[in-house]
Amino acid sequence: MSASNDGPGPIADRDEMAVPGGQTGAQGQEAARGRVSLPIVEEARAQTEVQSRQVRKYWRSIAEKEGSRSLSAAAAREFPAGAGELPEPNRRAFMQLLGSSAALAGVAACHQPQEQTVPFVRRPEEITPGLPQHFATGYSLEGYATGLLVESHEGRPTKIEGNPDHRDSLGAARAFEQALLLGLYDDDRAKQIRHNGEPVAWRQFLAEVALLSARHGSDGGARLRFLTDPTASPMLGELRQRLLLKFPNAKFTSYSPVASDGAADGLSAAYGRGVEARHDLARGAVILALDSDFLGDGPEQLRLSRQFSAHRAPSAGMNRLYVVEPGLSVTGMSADHRLRLRAGDVSRFAQAIAAELGGRGGFSQLAKLGGGRAMAPSDAHEAKWVRAVAADLANNRGRSLVIVGRRQPAAVHALAAALNAALDNVGVTVSYAAPLLTDLRSGSAPIAALAQEIAAGQVDTLVITARNPAYSAPADLKFDKLLGRVPTTVYHALYEDETAPGRTFFIPAAHPLESWGDGRATDGAITITQPLIAPLWGGISDIEVLAAFLGEGDQTSHKLLRRSWQAKLASIPGATDVDYDQVWEKWLADGVIVGTETTPLGDLTLDFGAVARALQDSNSAAPKGAGIEIVFAPDYKVFDGRFANASWLQELPDPITKLTWDNAALMSPATAKALGVEVERDSDKFSILAIEYRDRRIHAPALIVPGHADDCITLPLGYGREGSERVARGVGFNAGALRMTDAPWFDRGAQVMRATGMHLFGITQNHWSDEGREPAMEVTLADFQNEHSEFFERIEGRRGPQASIHRPVDYSNQQYKWGMAIDLGKCTGCSACVVACQAENNIPVVGRDNVVVGREMQWLRIDRYYTGEIEDPEVVVQPLGCVHCETAPCEYVCPVNATVHSDEGLNEMVYNRCIGTRYCSNNCPYKVRRFNFLDYTSETPAVRRMAMNPEVTVRSRGIMEKCTYCVQRIEKKRIETRVEGRAIKDGELVTACQQGCPSDAIVFGNLNDPTSRVTKLHADARRYDLLHEIGTRPRTAYLARVRNRNPELAKG
Amino acid sequence: MASTSTAAAPKSTDPLEPALLIEGAQTDASLNASLFDHVWTAPGKGWWGLFGIALMGLAMLGIGLTYTLYKGIGAWGNNIPVGWAYDIINFVWWIGIGHAGTLISAILLLLQQKWRTSINRFAEAMTLFAVMCALLFPLFHTGRPWFAAYWLLPYPSVNGIWPQFKSPLVWDVFAVSTYFTISLLFWFLGLIPDLASLRDSSKSPTKRMIYGIFAMGWRGSGRHWAEYKWSYLLLAGLSTPLVLSVHTIVSFDFATSVLPGWHTTIFPPYFVAGAVFSGFAMVLSWMVPARHFLGLKHVVTMKHLENMNKVILATGMMVSYGYVMEHFIAWYSGNPYEFAVFFKVRQRGPFAPIYWLMVFCNVVVPQIFWSKKARTNILIMWIAALLVNVGMWCERFVIIVTSLHRDFLPSKWELYAPTWVDWSIYIGTIGLFSTLFLLFLKFVPAVAATEVKELRHEMAHHAHGATAAGEAHG
Repeated sequence: MSASNDGPGPIADRDEMAVPGGQTGAQGQEAARGRVSLPIVEEARAQTEVQSRQVRKYWRSIAEKEGSRSLSAAAAREFPAGAGELPEPNRRAFMQLLGSSAALAGVAACHQPQEQTVPFVRRPEEITPGLPQHFATGYSLEGYATGLLVESHEGRPTKIEGNPDHRDSLGAARAFEQALLLGLYDDDRAKQIRHNGEPVAWRQFLAEVALLSARHGSDGGARLRFLTDPTASPMLGELRQRLLLKFPNAKFTSYSPVASDGAADGLSAAYGRGVEARHDLARGAVILALDSDFLGDGPEQLRLSRQFSAHRAPSAGMNRLYVVEPGLSVTGMSADHRLRLRAGDVSRFAQAIAAELGGRGGFSQLAKLGGGRAMAPSDAHEAKWVRAVAADLANNRGRSLVIVGRRQPAAVHALAAALNAALDNVGVTVSYAAPLLTDLRSGSAPIAALAQEIAAGQVDTLVITARNPAYSAPADLKFDKLLGRVPTTVYHALYEDETAPGRTFFIPAAHPLESWGDGRATDGAITITQPLIAPLWGGISDIEVLAAFLGEGDQTSHKLLRRSWQAKLASIPGATDVDYDQVWEKWLADGVIVGTETTPLGDLTLDFGAVARALQDSNSAAPKGAGIEIVFAPDYKVFDGRFANASWLQELPDPITKLTWDNAALMSPATAKALGVEVERDSDKFSILAIEYRDRRIHAPALIVPGHADDCITLPLGYGREGSERVARGVGFNAGALRMTDAPWFDRGAQVMRATGMHLFGITQNHWSDEGREPAMEVTLADFQNEHSEFFERIEGRRGPQASIHRPVDYSNQQYKWGMAIDLGKCTGCSACVVACQAENNIPVVGRDNVVVGREMQWLRIDRYYTGEIEDPEVVVQPLGCVHCETAPCEYVCPVNATVHSDEGLNEMVYNRCIGTRYCSNNCPYKVRRFNFLDYTSETPAVRRMAMNPEVTVRSRGIMEKCTYCVQRIEKKRIETRVEGRAIKDGELVTACQQGCPSDAIVFGNLNDPTSRVTKLHADARRYDLLHEIGTRPRTAYLARVRNRNPELAKG
Repeated sequence: MASTSTAAAPKSTDPLEPALLIEGAQTDASLNASLFDHVWTAPGKGWWGLFGIALMGLAMLGIGLTYTLYKGIGAWGNNIPVGWAYDIINFVWWIGIGHAGTLISAILLLLQQKWRTSINRFAEAMTLFAVMCALLFPLFHTGRPWFAAYWLLPYPSVNGIWPQFKSPLVWDVFAVSTYFTISLLFWFLGLIPDLASLRDSSKSPTKRMIYGIFAMGWRGSGRHWAEYKWSYLLLAGLSTPLVLSVHTIVSFDFATSVLPGWHTTIFPPYFVAGAVFSGFAMVLSWMVPARHFLGLKHVVTMKHLENMNKVILATGMMVSYGYVMEHFIAWYSGNPYEFAVFFKVRQRGPFAPIYWLMVFCNVVVPQIFWSKKARTNILIMWIAALLVNVGMWCERFVIIVTSLHRDFLPSKWELYAPTWVDWSIYIGTIGLFSTLFLLFLKFVPAVAATEVKELRHEMAHHAHGATAAGEAHG
């Protein structure tokens, strides 16, 4: 600007513009013509220009403007030539197209009238786009159904939760059930009906079955066999009956690799008839778990966890849990006292208890069950245990429970029944009912019988609806080879797994969330399971497969089920045939048919003599030899291998070892030392072992677990899969290769030696000790009841206000002040919450290699610390997500304000703003922030994306994320209640982890509501803040765990 | 303009400057000839060899950064809890190295330390290049550098979102960018008279034109000199607080956090001392070979080297004091987390070898400079300087990685291991630094010829004036 232009800017500018020729361009020319535009005129003209543009015809290229004919023809197409054609297909796209077109062809051929899958031409009344619906259904594992509620967004299931009305769920769901969602959308699922490997249509299969049926009909099905999963489903039971009517000589066999046949046989022996035990901890005061993982395993797990944890607060009258087991289990971690014993020694311990009780007054009938001198405790420690536990059981007669796990043989189950009967526990903590399962036994004995028949050439047709028997059957049966000797095999499964190759017919199964069916809870209550979505890849349900042999394969399972229940309507209390549609709808809506529970048997008498005989047989057959004991265990993540393709579960840290993407030979530090196991310093590398047992040999990496019994190795089942499941393949080793028909669960005599090489595990927590920092506080009941104990001194230092130069933000005038309380006394470490969080918040799976380098993404982790002796420690677990500090160290270090505080005290993460400096994580004392180091989401297969929660952003590469206290749930509830013009009530808003928790350890709510549960828990005498000394003022408070010690065992 | 008389070698009579700062009987012409010689002579095989190696290093930087952008931060070894590792270690290391230049140029200028003249250009150039290497990391260590490039700057956005001014990372952006700007200006200003000399003495018209452009019309008039002196002094004044502030603010990245091992009030002075320490070591590691190969022994004398060794000894002692105090406070405070970091994790943890290497290089090695023999022995000082560079890198590793990998909750303790990309980027920055430095040696006089000539006059005047009892001031 020239020196003369020293006046106010705008005027000077106008002066310049007024000079003719002083400017170039349109403005200058206009100015030259004397048309000086005021800004407002300029704007109006701009607008008319825009309007005139709208009617102008634009041309796309010079050629079009010139009117070239071929080009104008091309221009008539919306996109250039070739754009509509397929892009050059890459392998994955090609496979997807191939798979889906094949599956769709199958669908068109077999399921002519797809029922109730009409798109919404008119919107049904109850559906609002954007708002999810919940449907009740159920899932049967080990034969018993757990009630579920499935959240569905616009027809696609997105989240699985427990059904609060179902007695075996009580609103919670195990990791297994929650991960069903991944199974539903699993692209690896079988999609094609095959006949000798060639794709065929369902109708062709039906035609073949009709021929088969005709052939087998001639001899009453004498050469026809069915191999099924154990089930309590009335529908499947009915089909079985009808099949047996049609083929009276056919046989059904149930098989489960984790069957509880010991319980079935033991109770049969004790009571003279087949019964099922039902446990009830609502009134149990003293629990003796003999190799029983009732808090981490089994169909009663969810209910027992809830009942158990209800009595873990000192105010509620605490129960006391003794656990005797070989390797640490979830139950063992929750124990007040835990004794590590080899699985084979548990029987001895139980007999010693019986002997000890028998020696006391009032338990004379137990005296002869004692087993005598041979079964006396092996050392002083065990003897002390026996005395103390027996005394405690005797003192709590009528409110104690002896519970035995599935690994133990029949005699121990029979003895436990005798102990419970003698202790007057029957009818209080345990009751016995007629079996619900169609087959009482489903373990190695029944399948061995079937194998024998096959070997003898007595089977022409074998229909398999059991899950993957070629992989899971006892190794000595060589079942996979035997199957090849059956002329016709029909295999119905979700995946083309180890059993699928070589089968005459392979039928892809419909996923439980795609199929109709029914099931029974452990108390007999019936659940109708309804599909949430039409089969994605034309799967067939097991009902339809069995119906095919009845000639009803063209009926849908829905029709069959409805008809069957209509016929059985009379047996349902309170149901009438007047309006079946309405009754049916109610059953579906409730998820459980009220009044269908079966009552326990009242007229049972225990035959102590039979128990004694069983024990004698068992003692004489008991393994006494030297050598290391190998113990098999169902896995907490993949169970028997059936969940091995669910990446959430593979990446879920094992509740005890925190191991992901692997199984390992678990052993005590002493055993590891004796075997020469090497551990690379400060790393998760362990020696690989060669385990030899009865001429079979496997290689398995060792993993040291404190608290494991010595000379004993636990081998989790379900790994080393070789089927077509891509996630499961090559993960871990197959422990089942050492399982024998006569020793399905444990045996001695294994030879273990070091093999060459080391194995690197992906372990999320490899540091055992808490370094004396006591992040997870615990106290004995005695100390807790003594107000002068040093516990209170310690805990007082870890809560309450602190001196600070900052004035804390006042949240008291907010309507809501969100907070959480986690009761360490209740948490069993089962990890259902971790999967719930992962499902709710679209948390990616990162894979083994990333876990190895410490990049797992789960927002919620469960920390596990060992205390005490390394050989025999106590364990404490601590779930930890973002604790939402009021003075959050992460917030002030973020250079771009990507993590900020809400008015209600939430520590919020603004994904869009995050640039990924990771400074927030460095400054987080709890290290609960998770960083997207790589792109974990964009290659998610399209079908898998259907499982995403639409209410939660999917995060991109390079940004930080963490627990949000399920802010999407808060906001949804806020909208709902605002519409209704009220406040959010305590308990109606739950976080995903809280919802999934079977033991009610997590409570979320409004800290400004003095009556809310979370406020009360924040004021509890056991409350403390994690890392209180840093002054972060966390909103998540912890309640110290209380151990209800037996004074007899506590001393010395 | 300058005297051409062959003056006798000025013998120092100043008791504070007993040794010679310029050796031999030098004239302006001889100085011009010797100091510009490496610019005018075509580069030899040695230079090309080194340049080739440097370019290979630069290529590694390119590969490392490209791969990181393509793959994400997951290409590195970083994890949770070790959110920062080689990225910030290298950042702090390079920034530290950049400190010698400013200290020599600015503070020693203000203190009228004559010995700075022969080495200031050299050191300033190193500052610039080191800061350029350092500046890569704040950008590329982020998960989304395409946003970090401008979101870290306070610009008026339509969203009304500003950077978080409480965050030390934002302070870093200001501190380092200011430092870079001032250093660049300072270096360039000092170069102008020499660029003019090069212009005047160049034989090819192209070179004359290029040097002429950068000489910015310098004619050496009295007014030019007056303005030049003033602006040089002003920039020196501006730079002086920067010497202290830059590394102070870098240390705030750690000191303001809550992490045990980072949350320490001694960090600002200790970081500054460490920076000067490493900066001098780096200057020395390059100066020793450069003065040999470029024939600068007569202007970069043993006196200069010895002085630098003294600075290394002094700052090394300050750094050692920092270590001692850190450990003392960790013990004295009774804070179990800090105690664990300083006495267990660092000394006995998985990264203990790096800790002990740091102690050896930064505490033990400088002690050798108590001996004058060591201070004046070329080989010893060169090895010592290299070891100090290693030691200071280890120090940043110890501070950043060992503090992070085992912090408050033992449940989330993880190991850290760098990947090939980490190494590639680290070696790559050394390549970048070397490339720039070799280009600098090729195109610009490595020693501030103007200042050396001025010093020669000054000292001649001094020697003369001392006998004549004339004016003492130059």
